[in-house]
Amino acid sequence: MRYAAGFLSETDQDRVHEASLRILAETGVRFHGERALPLLAAAGAPVDADAGIARFPRALVEATLATAPREFVLGARDPAHDYALPSPVTRYAIDGTAAFVIDFETGERRYGTRRDSELALRVFQVADMGVMAWAPVTASDAPAGTRALHEFVAMLRASSKHGQHELHTREQVPYLADALTVVGGGAEAVRGRHPWSLIYCPVAPLVHDGPMLDAYLDLGSLDLPVMIMPMPVTGTTGPAGLMANVALANAEALSSIVVYQLAHPGRPVIYSSATGSMDFRTGAYLGGTPEMGIMSAALVTMGRFYGLPATAAGCTSDALEPGPEAVIEKLVTMLPPASAGADIVVGLGEIQGDQALVLEQILVDNELAHYVERLVEGIAQPADGDLVAEIAAIGPGGNFLADPATRRAARSREHLAPALIGRHAYEAWRDLGSPSMYGLAREKVQEILAGPVIDPLPQAVEAELERILAAADSELA
Amino acid sequence: MTEKLFTAMRQSVIDGDPDVAMELARQALASGVDPLAAIDEGYVPGIHVVGDQFHTGELFLPDMMAAAQAMQKAIAVLEPEMAARAAHRHVLGRVVIGTVKGDIHEIGKNLVGMMLMANGFEVHDLGVDVAPERFVEVAREVGANVVGVSALLTTTMVGQRAVIQQLADAGLRDGVKVIVGGAPVTRAWADEIGADGFGEDAVGAVAVARTLVGA
Repeated sequence: MRYAAGFLSETDQDRVHEASLRILAETGVRFHGERALPLLAAAGAPVDADAGIARFPRALVEATLATAPREFVLGARDPAHDYALPSPVTRYAIDGTAAFVIDFETGERRYGTRRDSELALRVFQVADMGVMAWAPVTASDAPAGTRALHEFVAMLRASSKHGQHELHTREQVPYLADALTVVGGGAEAVRGRHPWSLIYCPVAPLVHDGPMLDAYLDLGSLDLPVMIMPMPVTGTTGPAGLMANVALANAEALSSIVVYQLAHPGRPVIYSSATGSMDFRTGAYLGGTPEMGIMSAALVTMGRFYGLPATAAGCTSDALEPGPEAVIEKLVTMLPPASAGADIVVGLGEIQGDQALVLEQILVDNELAHYVERLVEGIAQPADGDLVAEIAAIGPGGNFLADPATRRAARSREHLAPALIGRHAYEAWRDLGSPSMYGLAREKVQEILAGPVIDPLPQAVEAELERILAAADSELA
Repeated sequence: MTEKLFTAMRQSVIDGDPDVAMELARQALASGVDPLAAIDEGYVPGIHVVGDQFHTGELFLPDMMAAAQAMQKAIAVLEPEMAARAAHRHVLGRVVIGTVKGDIHEIGKNLVGMMLMANGFEVHDLGVDVAPERFVEVAREVGANVVGVSALLTTTMVGQRAVIQQLADAGLRDGVKVIVGGAPVTRAWADEIGADGFGEDAVGAVAVARTLVGA
């Protein structure tokens, strides 16, 4: 039986839903920007234009939820990496938009660059539990006005898995559209296969960024799916109680879904969240806590409540360096959403509250993902349903070493064979130089980066992307 | 009678109860109590108690925030009378704080502002998406000696440099200490743009501000 766990009963789910509807109808949501409020007003939502606040009637929320597609495929540049939603298993995105990277050679923390994104995504390309690329660092070496474009293109280059990233202004939209259609083989192909999507985060509590939302609405012309990821933090930008914070996140998600569906009925949306909690001593954001894991799982459950593809942040850590604290926190924030049935958990490879990329952490996290998957797969009935015959055949005092079932088990999914955790006797381990999980991950990173780029873009496409970026830099930077 | 009032004021801040704090301020005014005395002998001692207990770990940041808000609301009740008497509170410094142009994130800035206020600074919060010229305008208007500039995104933190440049262009730079902060901000960045200090979190920002004003 697969291990399925949840933190919300059916009654709890109804409570959260009703609370979110009340928040939307009574408190309302603030929208900056040009497109959202007119859309909402035209749909009958009461809008206070001076305050920039819209309130959402229940009927509007229910009607727009009904138009959101329940299933679709996240395509990939290499179709072998297509990922259908909803999924019977949990897979992972690389974490994204960290400000910093821990330099692989020097160990120094510095601002990330386009090259760091490309190197990380080449490692992620090999991580077999990873299905969704994201620009893992912000590109401090790109002009601020076109930085998101450079980050997007770095991702297009370095990974042929499904790619997701963000855009910041409407002025950037034509350049991104050009880049995606060049790589994707035309606008129809991009619309049809959905090889790329956008990640959208409301600003808690209950505020939507204007330029970003307007840009994403413009990109509805390419039918780019939107992963909607509210981020309230208990005690600061959200209520301190976990259930109330879940209701707030859910309300923000619903408010986003309404706007996207009003603009483009049937546009794919992916329910997500990235909550956190507050350090009560300093006010700092904490992402690597049991509370965060619980809220991620609860919000996956709410995504399923609406019948939508459901994902959540997880594998998050506040650790300041790679090591045991990172592993504890990542496991504690991965297992709950995975056991709640998340289609995707976001994401691998970062520490320091999602602010620092560590190349070897991508592979360590991939290993953790395998452990979590094995736990969640649970316990299976034997194929022939017989629990007794083998035991009876071996009898008292015998052993099962050479039994055919044991031989099959050595090759089966029933017993996990880790890739980075070596199993040695102590003296043998010393003789090998005391290899560690992180040490083996670093060796693997070096091996990957010494090899060829997987699925490189054709030279003509590369040249066109350079031309598009140069034009953007000239006109927008 | 006045001593009892001051004791109750102190407790209202320790309890973080703005309604009681405001009512006591109104009582003080009705009784003719000097508003500066009400602040210095009533509310401020309460903040000191809370601050001490915060530093020993008995109280948490939300307790500090509640105490600061209670005191802030009480002072707002007293301010008209202070203005009428041309009375000025002794403060450690006058701070203008805001989030840079193009950035609407404010929780970190709010935390820092409240902590500074709780620690004896007069704080003028400009909100979010603040143009550099606005920082300069208000700094000049209130006689600020500290400007705090927050940014959450690498794309907007360049605005911190712009604020510093504008202060220099306006001839205010020498009289103003600039503190920068936000998730992507580092000590190296602060040094690069010529900031005077950098706060990694709200508690750190207060310590930096106190050092910069010589408190």
